[in-house]
Amino acid sequence: MKWNKENLKQYVQAKEYVDTIVLPLMPFHLSQNAELEKSAFQREVLSIFLTEIEQELTGRIMLTPDYNYLKSTDKTTEVERINAWIEEITTQPFEHIFLITFDSTWKKHEESLNGHLLWLPGIQSGDLHSKEMHTFIHGQVEQISELIQSYW
Amino acid sequence: MSEEKQQVSRRTFLNYTLTGLGGFMAAGMLVPMLRMAVDPVLQTSGGGDFTNVGLAVDDITTEPQRVDWKIDQVDGWYESEVSKSAWVFKNDKNEIVAFSPVCKHLGCVVSWEGNEDYPNEFFCPCHNGRYYKDGTNVPHTPPLAPLDEYDQKIENGMLFLGKVRTREEAKPREEA
Repeated sequence: MKWNKENLKQYVQAKEYVDTIVLPLMPFHLSQNAELEKSAFQREVLSIFLTEIEQELTGRIMLTPDYNYLKSTDKTTEVERINAWIEEITTQPFEHIFLITFDSTWKKHEESLNGHLLWLPGIQSGDLHSKEMHTFIHGQVEQISELIQSYW
Repeated sequence: MSEEKQQVSRRTFLNYTLTGLGGFMAAGMLVPMLRMAVDPVLQTSGGGDFTNVGLAVDDITTEPQRVDWKIDQVDGWYESEVSKSAWVFKNDKNEIVAFSPVCKHLGCVVSWEGNEDYPNEFFCPCHNGRYYKDGTNVPHTPPLAPLDEYDQKIENGMLFLGKVRTREEAKPREEA
């Protein structure tokens, strides 16, 4: 389920069935010209991933709005904010929290995050609409969805 | 005054004008009503667009296989590519069946033999919903309705899928 009007209406009626949160961590920056395209591309890819995962498991997971942060930011302060999000989320009956990101710097802070961090090795470039990308993403999504299922 | 000009009297002139005007107004009201009445006839039959899902009819077996395809969908503000999928196979009567994989419980994607404990069934990973091969929901599992089915047609040996219909909607088509 997504955080939109229609899905939330359904969520409120089926709360006991939705016990898993997927929270995307999305970096943003406008400096470092060389990195810009890559970062934007990864963001696009990640949102495609998320849409697909959400579609596969829509009845049991809630996809939250993206958690945006500056790429250059101090991660320890962000960890505090993320944990505040999670605290708010877990006032509802949510048992499993998954944080999904392409940003490997989170890996070092995994311990202090109150959720399961899923770091996916990013795709650097390519054509989002190509057949190969489609099959590739599909295969990845299947594995992530299996991973999430293994926690249920 | 000449004789000719008196052929139309003021009274008849007014009569004509008023009848004409009234006629126009009545027609203005009646024509849209008439259109509404015959509207079902005007609508194009077939129930929507069909998409080639890239599966040859000869490749369809009795074992359900998943096909994925994309369609362009205009949805209010957004025009987007939407991915669709279906489970396609031939049933006992050798008819092609294309089930929508969307679980009737809360909309997760079901898979054929998705759980080792339940062979020959469609399985929903979210809340262990199950369906028999003919799409009927297994009693005492969360789904309360059978899987939806796609409209289908075959052209040049390829399978085309169209709109999704519930079992109830699909029935009359099967009997016809």
